Amino acid sequence: MKMILKIFITFFKIGAFTIGGAYAMIPLIRREVCQKNNWLTEDEFLDGLSAAQSCPGPIAINLSIYIGFHLAKGKGMATAVLATILPSFITILIIAMLFQQFAEVTLVQKAFHSLRPAVVALIAVPLIQMSKQSGLTLSNCWFPLSVAVLVGFLKISPVYLILITIAFAVYQGLKKQK
Amino acid sequence: MMIYFELFRTFFKIGLFSFGGGYAILAMINQEVVLKNAWLTNSQFMDIVAISQMTPGPIAINAATFIGYQKGGFLGSVISTLGVIFPSLIVMTLITLTYIKLKNQPWFKNIFRKLRLLSLGLIAAAFIMIAGDAFRDLFSVLVFTASFIASWKFKLNPFYLLIGAAVIGIALG
Repeated sequence: MKMILKIFITFFKIGAFTIGGAYAMIPLIRREVCQKNNWLTEDEFLDGLSAAQSCPGPIAINLSIYIGFHLAKGKGMATAVLATILPSFITILIIAMLFQQFAEVTLVQKAFHSLRPAVVALIAVPLIQMSKQSGLTLSNCWFPLSVAVLVGFLKISPVYLILITIAFAVYQGLKKQK
Repeated sequence: MMIYFELFRTFFKIGLFSFGGGYAILAMINQEVVLKNAWLTNSQFMDIVAISQMTPGPIAINAATFIGYQKGGFLGSVISTLGVIFPSLIVMTLITLTYIKLKNQPWFKNIFRKLRLLSLGLIAAAFIMIAGDAFRDLFSVLVFTASFIASWKFKLNPFYLLIGAAVIGIALG
């Protein structure tokens, strides 16, 4: 029981203090889990992290599933996930409750008028940064470009493209193996 | 009753097909909640992305909680949030149990090499989908340019960047 409580407090803290996406969360999770509590070795953590990045869904949630399961099976997993989402759930719920009243206020409208182009910039920057990390070359750039056109302009669902990509990658990988 | 089912189905789908985290998910969320279900306008969608970058938690979860509340009250927000994490619970448990065996298989590694490139295209798609509605006047273009430089050249944290944008909007907009 004490372990479950400890899992809850640790992941609640992780959920509450990470603003700005999963990559801000990872160093904090590592410190809490590997250094402060000695729950996982560095190697186990890195294995969990790459599994979390491979799996669909938010990385932080996947990582808490992995660590919670490692510590206390199903109970640990449920506790870790619940504790990670609770701070953001409460925050957004309060904002959603107040949003309709505040949306009419001129100051709020002005703020959002300026926030929208800022959000577009936040999406444009990782596009450039990621193109270096993801192994983009002249010979394969047709692929992300076609995805952008198919999804962005022609409104094809990413679901089909993801399924086709996975099927092709498995086929290609198995062929190389032979 | 119907709306709860639709919320769960939509966010389950978003959770199941979100790879690579963060901005790669946005195109999928936009298609489902703006184009298909018309639960939000494009501007409201951008507002939620801004809110989610200023509050704790992943974008997919924040969007689920917010839209769930707007469409189905408290119960709607609980159902949508659970819907988006449900696929993670199933797939992650399977992967945790088999990852050690899978991780050195060439076909398994190849999936993520290819999906990384796909994510890049999906982020570009999200940009295409919302940029038109964001650039309504000269002021918007100026805010975009300033934010772009602050984030790219000076690596400004998104939280502070958005607080700054909000303040500038209130003062000058």
